[in-house]
Amino acid sequence: MTGTKASIRRMKDLPSTHLLGTGTPMCAGCGGLQALHEIYDILGEKTVFVNAAGCMTLLSVYPFTPFRGSWLYTAMASSPAGAQGIRDALDILRERGELPAEEDLQVVVLTGDGAAYGMGLSATSGAMERDLDFIYICYDNEGYGNTGQQYSGATPHAAKTATSRGAHGFAGYKKDLFSIWAAHRPAYVGTVIGAEPLDLAHKIETVKQLRGPRMIIALAPCPTGWDYDPGESVNIGRLAVRTGIWPLKEYIDGKVVHTRIPRGRLPVEEYLKTQGRFAHLFAPQRDDALLAELQARVDAYWDGVTS
Amino acid sequence: MYRIRFHGRGGQGMKTASRILGSAFFLEGFEVQDAPRYGAERRGAPIFAYVRAARAAINERGIISRPDLVVVADDTLVPVPASGVLSGIGARTVLLINTTQNTSAWQQRLNISGPVITLPASAEVEDRADLPYIGATCAGAAARLVGVIARDTLAGAIRTELSALGAGVIDRNLENALQAYDIMQAHSGLVREGSMTSAIKYAHPDWADLPFDTARISAPTVFATANSVEVRTGLWRTLRPVVDYSRCNHCWWVCSTFCPDGAIAVDTDGKPVIDYDHCKGCMICVAQCPPHAIEAVSEEQAQRDTTTGETP
Ligand SMILES: Cc1ncc(C[n+]2csc(CCOP(=O)(O)OP(=O)(O)O)c2C)c(N)n1
Ligand code: SF4
Ligand code: SF4
Ligand code: SF4
Ligand SMILES: [Mg+2]
Repeated sequence: MTGTKASIRRMKDLPSTHLLGTGTPMCAGCGGLQALHEIYDILGEKTVFVNAAGCMTLLSVYPFTPFRGSWLYTAMASSPAGAQGIRDALDILRERGELPAEEDLQVVVLTGDGAAYGMGLSATSGAMERDLDFIYICYDNEGYGNTGQQYSGATPHAAKTATSRGAHGFAGYKKDLFSIWAAHRPAYVGTVIGAEPLDLAHKIETVKQLRGPRMIIALAPCPTGWDYDPGESVNIGRLAVRTGIWPLKEYIDGKVVHTRIPRGRLPVEEYLKTQGRFAHLFAPQRDDALLAELQARVDAYWDGVTS
Repeated sequence: MYRIRFHGRGGQGMKTASRILGSAFFLEGFEVQDAPRYGAERRGAPIFAYVRAARAAINERGIISRPDLVVVADDTLVPVPASGVLSGIGARTVLLINTTQNTSAWQQRLNISGPVITLPASAEVEDRADLPYIGATCAGAAARLVGVIARDTLAGAIRTELSALGAGVIDRNLENALQAYDIMQAHSGLVREGSMTSAIKYAHPDWADLPFDTARISAPTVFATANSVEVRTGLWRTLRPVVDYSRCNHCWWVCSTFCPDGAIAVDTDGKPVIDYDHCKGCMICVAQCPPHAIEAVSEEQAQRDTTTGETP
């Protein structure tokens, strides 16, 4: 890590007061909200959020907001462009001496996977190309959650969605957004999950120390879209890590480092069987061929991991 | 025209209930409208769906304000003003409530003279995994109350509307719905059609004309910080997490961090305190607490215990 001194070493060091207001319209057990509240506790209130259409748009529905700073809504494909405008405005105020350094704000883009992996990719690419000083948080619930879980560029192979109802689920494959983003050589790219708050906290502390484009993808277990009981969100999040389906890693100083290499990886079906969206892999008949394919893909990924 | 409203919580299948009933009416030769009504609400939040059915073209649109039948899938919603269960109920409105309490208790509590029918299906709601089935059950009971839908028609509508869910789920829904249909036999035809509205006789309400303001005034800008706390999402809860402090070992970083809603505060002794005004009842804290010091209690039971002075 570049020059960061982690102040959060153990679970005990995590914040005990929470900045994000209660009373939001996110579903009970929302893994995206869990990750956001953990991230916000560490980023702090000197932030301005730029949001693209998705579930989290509903966080700030007039006249209510859970944020302690400003929030701006943009069209689905354009949040990084909105972030550019805000950053520029803040920089102008700084230059004119109208904004003291200690009152400057971090500009934080918050979008779902539909925007991040698809519609908003071009604007994000442009922002990284311009070395925009911003943080991008994508909460990845692997589909268009707010409109009823249609498939997106983040939907995993074989998952059932509102638009992938066949016997084998979604025919496509989840895009590797981490690599797409890292190929732009931004200051930082990291994957996190709310179920691993310590790993998340370390990464957000790192991000706070850096400048330039800092990109975060949070896998967001979604009881509504993935079809499971809301109380299981953390267990499912942990299984995503322990089966190797969701690698925790970061790209920093031009290198990719895995922050957690799961020893004795659990079979992927331990994760898949917890969710209704994969139920067709187990009933009425077990789809051994498809299960083996999904396992082989995860094995192949980890076979290539050395650090 | 029949005007019917289904009230429940997100996830209890009220949209499905309205679709099943709508299809059943349609198969009986009616003109039908059915629509769910929800905005930002999520699983557990109060939602409703409605059905209009008539032998002639339906010119009326929008939310039903004068219902002939109101079906309540979850009786904990009745006292919640935001759910609008009692909105527009008149002397001839039939109220069908899924409840363990009896008709006269509800008539007395709500001070209404119209017919109240109870649907003793409440046990189903105790099991969260079965929540979706209550929608079909409500549709089955409603189909019998209107008295113009045959048993076979109801079954056909359920098969069509749930076709994507697989045989097991369809069978379970069919069984529940037909059972509810049979239970309501004595009340068949109790719900009567309201009169059609006429555009000619329509008198618009006393509108208040609002002037057109400049964007600076009319644009919805929020100047407050974290004022979402004014929204009581605790209403969504069907299960309540209760900490047994004698077993709690003050490892607040577990429950307080994992609670997606930030509804677990930590007091100066490191003791977790659950904010019931906002806890949505997801049960993540119950699942994660290492010494199993948090218990899931039925919200209905917890509220009853609180009003009788016992602490749950
Ligand atoms: C250009 C555009 N197309 C479609 C929509 C409708 N829409 C609103 S939210 C949403 C889903 C967004 O999915 P995602 O970004 O994954 O966020 P999630 O809803 O899953 O939180 C869609 C398609 C829109 N607002 N703008
Ligand atoms: S649909 Fe999923 S991501 Fe959206 S609020 Fe609900 S749980 Fe969260
Ligand atoms: S996780 Fe359980 S034991 Fe730990 S503080 Fe919370 S309630 Fe107490
Ligand atoms: S059940 Fe527990 S984790 Fe869920 S909202 Fe309530 S306090 Fe938070
Ligand atoms: Mg999404």
